[in-house]
Amino acid sequence: MQTFEPEAIDWPDTAGALRDRVRGVLADHGPLDPVLRANSWTKPDPEFSRRLGEADLLGMTWPREYGGHEASQLERYVVIEELLAAGAPVGAHWIADRQSGPLILRYGDEAMKRRWVPAIARGEAFACIGLSEPSSGSDLASVRTSARREGEGWVLNGQKVWTTGAHVAHFMIALVRTEPGSERQRGLSQFLVPMDTPGISVKPIIDLTGAHEFNEVFFENVGLSPDALLGTEGDGWAQATAELSLERSGPERYLSSMVLLLELIRVAGDDAGPSVRELAGRLAAEAWTLRLMSASVAAKLARGEDASLEATIVKDLGNSYEQAIPELVHRTVAMDLDGPDVLSMVTAYLLQVSPSFSLRGGTREIIRGIIARGLGLR
Amino acid sequence: MSDTRRMLAEMADPLFAELGFEADDARDWARVEDLGLPLLLLSEEDGGFGGNWQDALTVFRLAGYHALGPSLPEAIVAKVASQGSDAHFQLMAFARTAQIAGALDAALRLSVDYANERQQFGRPLGKFQAVQQSLATFACEAAAANCAAVGAAQALDRGDAAFEIAAAKLRANQAVGVGTRVAHQVHGAIGFTQEYSLHHLTRRLWQWRSDFGHDAYWSGVLGKSVIERGADNFWPDLVARTD
Ligand SMILES: Cc1cc2nc3c(=O)[nH]c(=O)nc-3n(C[C@H](O)[C@H](O)[C@H](O)COP(=O)(O)OP(=O)(O)OC[C@H]3O[C@@H](n4cnc5c(N)ncnc54)[C@H](O)[C@@H]3O)c2cc1C
Repeated sequence: MQTFEPEAIDWPDTAGALRDRVRGVLADHGPLDPVLRANSWTKPDPEFSRRLGEADLLGMTWPREYGGHEASQLERYVVIEELLAAGAPVGAHWIADRQSGPLILRYGDEAMKRRWVPAIARGEAFACIGLSEPSSGSDLASVRTSARREGEGWVLNGQKVWTTGAHVAHFMIALVRTEPGSERQRGLSQFLVPMDTPGISVKPIIDLTGAHEFNEVFFENVGLSPDALLGTEGDGWAQATAELSLERSGPERYLSSMVLLLELIRVAGDDAGPSVRELAGRLAAEAWTLRLMSASVAAKLARGEDASLEATIVKDLGNSYEQAIPELVHRTVAMDLDGPDVLSMVTAYLLQVSPSFSLRGGTREIIRGIIARGLGLR
Repeated sequence: MSDTRRMLAEMADPLFAELGFEADDARDWARVEDLGLPLLLLSEEDGGFGGNWQDALTVFRLAGYHALGPSLPEAIVAKVASQGSDAHFQLMAFARTAQIAGALDAALRLSVDYANERQQFGRPLGKFQAVQQSLATFACEAAAANCAAVGAAQALDRGDAAFEIAAAKLRANQAVGVGTRVAHQVHGAIGFTQEYSLHHLTRRLWQWRSDFGHDAYWSGVLGKSVIERGADNFWPDLVARTD
């Protein structure tokens, strides 16, 4: 039984030139803080995002008409893996470039496309994802935030939570209930909600490391224009789940702890004992395998094939890998987690944030449930 | 899959399925030879099939899937590398990787089918979430072993594949641990009998894990090479192998 038909990947001829372009932007940006290089796709730096926009490295696969560069999916893949491996602060634009832009291009009307897509590609418009609510976590179909029709437009009420980057974002793509009294997956729709609309308040949630990355977002009688509806009324569930396959298989699902593997190699040196050597070898082999798997999903998506099962497999393996790295390094190398050396600092940081790797984007248990369905067990 | 590869698979699959784990070199070798399979990698001028490593992968993987008795991978590799050479050891490590990938897929198939058939507490085992979650992890491991095997084959067709073979064999070895454990657990006692076919796969998987480089061997080799190259070369080296 083959759940993941692997394929020989046709890497683009332009890969080397693209990597040089990314390295150029990074060199201009100056040295990166070694700890912030870990899990760097949650670290916003709007100035860095604008520089990527200027270098034509955002919205790469989108039509020129909307500010894109009509590159291939694998060319985009090369750029994003290069940014993540370097630990670049790509958090500000990450969500918009990865999923919101493609979603607007697919379902948005002309005015919405013109208003947002070129700005995303310039690195000037950032997005956040409004799915989770206080009583809707894994059970996403239970969302209660609602939009009701009023006059020409809509009025939004309710609350989202754990919204990464809501304090930096210019708009949210929110999944809300548009059919009063509807149950579960039915009666849901997606809206593009500009974050400066009156009635929206954003309250920080500080995570266990002391950082402010996610938020609570409250909607109190937020008036939306008729064209804020994204796609088709009532199709929100199908649209949002299609979006998840863009979200699940990218290189960010296995590279969040790459900087720690690099630090391990750096401190190992010539006199590394067998346990450090074997750990470095094992982590290198897994990085190589996951890179092929993740890129192979990108290649499938580029051909318009359904790769949702494969994407889910990449997420499960990738998250387990990036979560295991700090644990394995901590177990293998003697260190003081309060110590000033880079290896200790990065390990201490990643031990704390790594529990989130198998929560965000769908928990490990939910992901494995989806794989089981793909196997024909549910 | 290319047309030649599909043709190869259509040729080899029914024969391997028929011979399976009961096949033996003395009795059945002629039938394998009749298909020209041992000459897979020789050029057409040399009377071979003119196949590349991705073609070989198809055959090795199917041999693993059917837990094929005769030592076909050994015969194929012997035509292109002499026994005892470094190249031979590497190529056999690649062959075992592909066999592991195939055998894991077969064991996964058996396990999923069994979980859907066998009823306890009034429903199929596969309806229990704990069983689903274990089989999902098994599916991930089988997928990783298969992708690693393809990556190594593609590297062999490009040229030097020392890094890829080491990484792929190591990754496949690790998948053996999870796969065999879950397959036996899901099967309960029936999987522990001589009569039921699971052990033809799992016992070979254990053997293949230690053949041509066990986990510690390959992780030591890889670790030494990435440490020698240094942290700053790790990523550029990795991507340079495909760019
Ligand atoms: C760092 C971070 C960033 C995030 N960013 C965003 C964001 O930008 N936008 C957004 O909308 N959300 C975001 N989330 C929320 C994330 O999607 C949820 O945390 C996730 O869906 C799980 O929901 P929950 O936290 O309510 O946990 P729960 O659903 O309460 O689950 C708790 C535990 O129970 C398990 N569980 C639940 N149901 C089942 C079941 N049926 N079977 C087996 N086990 C089950 C879960 O797997 C988990 O282990 C973020 C989360 C994190 C940690």
